[in-house]
Amino acid sequence: MQNIFNFLANPSRFRVFSEKSYPYALFMMIILISVGLWYSLFNSPPDYQQGETVRIMYVHVPAAWMAMMVYLSMTIMSLFALVWRHPLADILSKCSAPIGASFTLIALVTGSIWGKPTWGTWWVWDARLTSVFILFLIYMGHITLVRSFEDEYKGARAGAILTLIGAFNLPIIKFSVDWWNTLHQPASVIKLDGPTIHIDMMIPLILMALGFLFFYFSFLLINVQTELNNRKLKKLFIQNFSKNN
Amino acid sequence: MKKFYRLILRDMHLVIKGSSDAGAALLFYLLAIIMFPLSSGTDTNLLTSIAGGAIWVAALFSSLLSLDRLFRSDFEDGSLEQLVLSGISLETIVLSKCFAHWLTNGLPIVILSPILAMIIGLDISYWWVLCSTLLLGTPSLTLIGATPAALSCAIGKGGVLTALIILPLMLPVLILGSGAITAEILGLGGSGHIYALAAILPLSLFVVPFLASKALRLGWE
Repeated sequence: MQNIFNFLANPSRFRVFSEKSYPYALFMMIILISVGLWYSLFNSPPDYQQGETVRIMYVHVPAAWMAMMVYLSMTIMSLFALVWRHPLADILSKCSAPIGASFTLIALVTGSIWGKPTWGTWWVWDARLTSVFILFLIYMGHITLVRSFEDEYKGARAGAILTLIGAFNLPIIKFSVDWWNTLHQPASVIKLDGPTIHIDMMIPLILMALGFLFFYFSFLLINVQTELNNRKLKKLFIQNFSKNN
Repeated sequence: MKKFYRLILRDMHLVIKGSSDAGAALLFYLLAIIMFPLSSGTDTNLLTSIAGGAIWVAALFSSLLSLDRLFRSDFEDGSLEQLVLSGISLETIVLSKCFAHWLTNGLPIVILSPILAMIIGLDISYWWVLCSTLLLGTPSLTLIGATPAALSCAIGKGGVLTALIILPLMLPVLILGSGAITAEILGLGGSGHIYALAAILPLSLFVVPFLASKALRLGWE
């Protein structure tokens, strides 16, 4: 395990690795999302109570999972960046933030569209909706902070520090529906005593979740490549500039 | 420990001399609370129901405003660097700064809150909830805001950006604090919220000194 981290710590080696693995991640994402969409739109039963509206779940729930997953991975990578000074961890954390913010926005918008026919309202200030909204604001604050540094090395480190401070919101989101009795339903898939969701709905949900996971991987890889190329370009520019003068 | 007291005394001395804006932040707290009856009408029932939230929002904004300058003046004139060079660990300095900020901003807010609660129309039987939530919540506000304040020193500019970063982090504390009062008024019992607030305080006390000093060192790089 240690060797993998050390191997990928070299930026140019990581770039080769990411360029090689990017097509596979993209391929997996396209396959999983298209199969998952087919399952969720045509090959899964409508809910006995909500009817066809339940199909929003296959986008809403994976997006919400990913919103939390991305923040969790950002937290772990920030820990790596600050404790072991891993040279790529803060870039990975920085490049995850826009993807996580998009997932959070998707979860909020689809949830609101789903809420209108089932709850009869676009938005309620219940615990889970509020805490996911706060997560979105934390993501946006993170992006703004990182962008406001002129030195991108410093910006990425500052983002890592901020990620760790914001991490305490994560357990609040996860357990808000269990702690407070609110309009949002409690967890029905990730539970200690097994899922309480029917297998026909479980299959498309898992497929979509995996598809979203590979969406995250592929976009993270291409974001990191862009970041590394930008840094290299800047370095080359300075080298040429000092050579010519 | 002696150094810790000396550091706090130094910050308090600066406040008393008037070279810090702690007094202005307190005045802002009073003004912000007066805004609520002026803007949402003088209906006593309405004011009673929003009183807890109003006091909490005012406390949050007051600490937000003063947090921007928590490290800034010492960071810019180099005295923070001198303190570190003199052998005091940066984590101790961060903790003492936070404690001094709480003494000059959080504690007066807690002391003033019963009087303001009376003005705004909160019933006398809920004072203990208000005071205990503020007593647990204001140090958490200071500690949570310390890291973004240190980061804003590293950027070199503060103002709106600091507020933008700090506010979402402070929102859970605000929700729990005002939620305790609302739950108590509704007869549900606010102790659950108070326990959650009491959990946030030691957690942030443990984590913040390390992260804030990381952020300050980032500014020196």
